[in-house]
Amino acid sequence: MSFDATLNLTGEVATIELKGELDASTAPRFHDLIEDAAGAGALRLDIHVSRLSYLSSAGLRSLVFARQKMGDEVRISVVGATEPVSRTIRLAGFDHSIDLIDA
Amino acid sequence: MAIDFSTAPAGPVAPCAPGPGDPAEPAGPVPAAIGVPAELGELDRIARFTLDLGRRAGLPPAELYRLRLAADELATNIVMHGYRGTPGCILVDGGIEPGRVWIRFTDDAPAFDPRQGLRAPELDVPLADRKVGGLGVFLALTAVDTFDYALVAGRNVCTLAIARHDNG
Repeated sequence: MSFDATLNLTGEVATIELKGELDASTAPRFHDLIEDAAGAGALRLDIHVSRLSYLSSAGLRSLVFARQKMGDEVRISVVGATEPVSRTIRLAGFDHSIDLIDA
Repeated sequence: MAIDFSTAPAGPVAPCAPGPGDPAEPAGPVPAAIGVPAELGELDRIARFTLDLGRRAGLPPAELYRLRLAADELATNIVMHGYRGTPGCILVDGGIEPGRVWIRFTDDAPAFDPRQGLRAPELDVPLADRKVGGLGVFLALTAVDTFDYALVAGRNVCTLAIARHDNG
């Protein structure tokens, strides 16, 4: 099982790419990058997940954390989710406040 | 069959493995049961066990994902809300039957039916204000086709199953 997360800051846009498996043991690394993005004052957060093969509730809690840290005015998008990942996000009703965008 | 973990030596080096009377080791690469320390960093082993079992059962990718998600969430729940950071073991066993694949967790944490922690998402509450407790159990119970909990000789026993279709 592997997980990798990278943050790219370009102007006011923060882009986080997630690869592998996001669960309770790997979510803290995602949290760190969210804090970095919020600390940099990003006005938009794009989370690219096309290579994220697994998302547990720990990952959903990370998205809540992102919404809390970034503030309501920041647009947060989850880009390129596979069917099971987007299904989990929708099941939890997170698609009401986070945009799910096809890659 | 539940395992008597109380006979295992205490401390961080305590072997967390099935003992006498547990399901027998089968011939083949996938054991019928594994014992895993109740730590988040060890849950990968439960995921691998679950995925191996599901693949042997011929589950399609969507069902395999559901089985793994449910097993992961329940195991995480046992670590976080059962043992609450205290040392412990989770025994995991599983089986393949014509109509279903099942995974069973046995633990020595205080008696707790995970269904008590179930909370459906608060869809009308802004995301930043959501109470996120109970999400894992919600995902687990939504993912599986059946879920059973029993307190057996003081141990929590959770069994989850995914139905098999058209697998011959």
